[in-house]
Amino acid sequence: MKYINLSTYTLIFILFGAFSAFGQKCELAIRGKILHQENNDPIEGAYIWVVESATGAVSDANGNFIVKELCQGNYNLTIQYLGHKEIRDTISLTSNNFNKTYRLEEESFELGGVEIHGHKLAVQTTTAVTALYGDDLLQARGESLGESLKRISGVTTFSTGNSISKPVIHGMHSNRIMILNNGIRLEGQQWGAEHAPEIDPFVADEITVIKGAETVRFGPEAMGGVILVNPAPLPTKKDPKTNFYFTGGSNGRMGNISISHANGSDKIKGLGYQVQASAKRAGNIQSPDYYQGNTGLSELNFSGSVGYSSQKLGIEGYYSYFNTTLGILRDSHTGNLDDLINIIENGRPFSDPGFTYDIINPKQVVSHHLAKIKSHYHLSDKWKLNFQYGFQANNRQEFDKRRGDLNTKPSLDLELFTNTLDLFLDHSLKNEWSGSFGINAIQQANSNIPGTGVTPLIPNYDMLNLGFYAIEKYSKGPLEIEGGLRFDTRTVQTARFVDSELQQADLSYNNFSAFIGGFYQISPKVTFNSNLGTAWRPPNVNELFSEGLHHGAAAVEIGDADLNSEKSLKWVNELEYDGGRTQLQLTAYANHISDYIYLNPTGDTYVSLRGTFNVYEYLQANAFFYGFDFSGSYVFTERLSGYAKGSIIRAKNTDADNYFPFIPSDRMDWGLSYQFGSLSNSKTNKFTLSNMLVAKQKREPDFDLAPAPDGYALFNISYQKQFELGKNKLNLGLQVQNLLNTSYKEYMNRFRYFTDDMGRNFLIKLNYQL
Amino acid sequence: MKLFKNSSLFAAVLFSAVLFSCKSEDPVIENDEEVITDVTLKFTELDDSGNPVGDSFEFLASDPQGVELGTPTIETVTLDKGKTYRLDVLLYNSIANEDITEEVQEESDEHQFFFLGSAFTSNILTISYDDPSGELIGLQNTLTVSSSPGATATEMRVILRHDLDKSYPGANNPNFTNFAQAGGETDLDITFPIEIN
Repeated sequence: MKYINLSTYTLIFILFGAFSAFGQKCELAIRGKILHQENNDPIEGAYIWVVESATGAVSDANGNFIVKELCQGNYNLTIQYLGHKEIRDTISLTSNNFNKTYRLEEESFELGGVEIHGHKLAVQTTTAVTALYGDDLLQARGESLGESLKRISGVTTFSTGNSISKPVIHGMHSNRIMILNNGIRLEGQQWGAEHAPEIDPFVADEITVIKGAETVRFGPEAMGGVILVNPAPLPTKKDPKTNFYFTGGSNGRMGNISISHANGSDKIKGLGYQVQASAKRAGNIQSPDYYQGNTGLSELNFSGSVGYSSQKLGIEGYYSYFNTTLGILRDSHTGNLDDLINIIENGRPFSDPGFTYDIINPKQVVSHHLAKIKSHYHLSDKWKLNFQYGFQANNRQEFDKRRGDLNTKPSLDLELFTNTLDLFLDHSLKNEWSGSFGINAIQQANSNIPGTGVTPLIPNYDMLNLGFYAIEKYSKGPLEIEGGLRFDTRTVQTARFVDSELQQADLSYNNFSAFIGGFYQISPKVTFNSNLGTAWRPPNVNELFSEGLHHGAAAVEIGDADLNSEKSLKWVNELEYDGGRTQLQLTAYANHISDYIYLNPTGDTYVSLRGTFNVYEYLQANAFFYGFDFSGSYVFTERLSGYAKGSIIRAKNTDADNYFPFIPSDRMDWGLSYQFGSLSNSKTNKFTLSNMLVAKQKREPDFDLAPAPDGYALFNISYQKQFELGKNKLNLGLQVQNLLNTSYKEYMNRFRYFTDDMGRNFLIKLNYQL
Repeated sequence: MKLFKNSSLFAAVLFSAVLFSCKSEDPVIENDEEVITDVTLKFTELDDSGNPVGDSFEFLASDPQGVELGTPTIETVTLDKGKTYRLDVLLYNSIANEDITEEVQEESDEHQFFFLGSAFTSNILTISYDDPSGELIGLQNTLTVSSSPGATATEMRVILRHDLDKSYPGANNPNFTNFAQAGGETDLDITFPIEIN
């Protein structure tokens, strides 16, 4: 019996062992990712059913799913999502490493075009991306593009007074970043420090900032980042939507209205249109102690689009018009170096003309037309051919305070025509692979319109840029890897008269750029992405050929026709945590730029009958930029929440071991919000107190006209409430900016030499949706 | 690249690029109309009753290139001690062949000359506006040389301000050193060396 007992025990042991082994096998899992066939978006809420085990899962916000506690063996999977074709797949599960990507195709067009799966990113990239939309964009309505984007951490502005502001991404601006108006790269006179982007923020339903070097996808100059200004997708069925916006501001007595309307056709399926117009008027801006003379503005914009889409074909036409007249602070226009020194010593304008809406010289009058045609055609369910053509006409006139009849003539009158053509082929191959091959052509003609009575600052030129690129992405489970390569060739022909002699130049630039990036979902709450990309920027025509007096700035600027292209290598990393109550986003980056072009004071002066002028020359040096941005929010209670965001940038000329001018100083913005009303109500009813802290820029260049201004702290309050009026909605926003009417100067404002920044401003922002 | 196999597509691209391309205009020589290239100080001796005596004489400051090429040439002004002169300031643009004096006269409410420098601070010269219209412009002035000057070599700085507040306190004085406080910008800033005989 003992033997039997022993053998029984042995049997039990063996059986137990077998069972435990069997038990382990049944802890296998099927992991996968659900993407949209059309646009690569992750699909949240798709249902995955394992027939044999009668268990299932639902995909998360990143499209990922996991079905646990499965044994080894073959399984039949069904994947379902409303309005999409069901996928049936038979898989063989042998190990715990199973991971597969599925792409869902839309079943029928009638269900209303592409479903919006939560918030959809405007661009598919593994780089750090932040978008401004919804309530945040509503709060920014009435501000210029640059000002609006300050709400995104890592984005600041480089401004000239309070009406001209250019966005700065990670310390880069002007021609080192790119702005896309509905997919077309905005081509204006962006080289000038006082040239604001020619775009109406009301065009946008969403503004997206890509913080990585995206030259491969978007072409040269996208070195510091890319800003995408995108309208809402066109409706594909009858669904009329009208939005009315009004913003009023006490400071400058500003008024801004915008109306947009979108609808689809009842008769022709897939046909839709959208129209939008806005107007803005403001007078002299008030600093706490005085009015800034001649700082009004007047703006009139329009845009419209019409589109048709069917299962296979999509076609869209778009037109936008931007027109602005901007007054330039009278006292900022100086005759010579003495004038400049006098006003800097004074620390504020000499004149205080009080309030007026009138705009006199110096002023800018800028108009910008943009027209585009876009089309895509599905060659098969895996291949999609895209075509986009854009035409832009930009006219910039700058008027200076001159004598007599000359006052009616612009001192600078430039006309820039740009044609852009994109042709690319997208593919979403079976499961893991997707990507794009394309060619891109940019053709540009810039002319000085005769009759200014001033020797032109930059020559007339023709430019042609051809680019060829390929991007491929691998998505599997929590991991996405992306890489791309691009080649560009550019030719520039310039012509102008120097001392009555025709001077011509032929220049050419060729460059490869490449990037590699990855995205990894560490856990359902934590994601990490990293992107390493090269970028390049050919020198601008002003950097090559400037020669002479920059009127009003009391500076003589000298270009260098032998400048090389700037080349950069940028590495961006982003860690995101979304834990319900806590949300956190950390971005760290390093950017090495060789042959960085900058304007350097020579220390010499030019003497003329008008007095003396500082002389600046364009030089190149190696530069290193690095820094980090953070933004986070925390929900304390159901009613109380808080947020904080900020950025730190370090930028150095590594050749000369000194600092570049106009690099944003360290800053942070934090605030607390309190939700009023009943908690079950989803409508906004929120009060926010926020505090902006900006440090003094201690890393100053060796030469500056004036030392960096002190740091400052501003308080702002806002109240946001949504009313429901029948089927319509009214959003009411009340804001007070610079609540304590603090006198301050911002280092990144070129007019800090002449005046304090804007004082207190009461704002009312209305949005009526019907 | 699959794309290039499709030659008709590529042709379409090239075609549209050619179709829509535009050329820049040929450059045009632009005359700098704003620049003042020649500033002439014209002196006419006055007798005790203010009537002109003898021939007038001129001193020139010129910069034919405008601001582009640096150092202007400035003649030394020679005056006799104890005498009173009428000083006319004449402005000319040799690039656009234009008389700027007239333009300044027409915009008398926006322009004003100031006369500074050691010649006035050490009381070698005294000056007063004497524009025929009665406005304070400084295109015509009365200038008196001290009969016992402390030095024979001195300097006079001639400044033309544009778009200033002419009613700013003190701006009625041709020797107003704080002219910057009255706002506007400088159109001319020339320092003439002066020799007193």
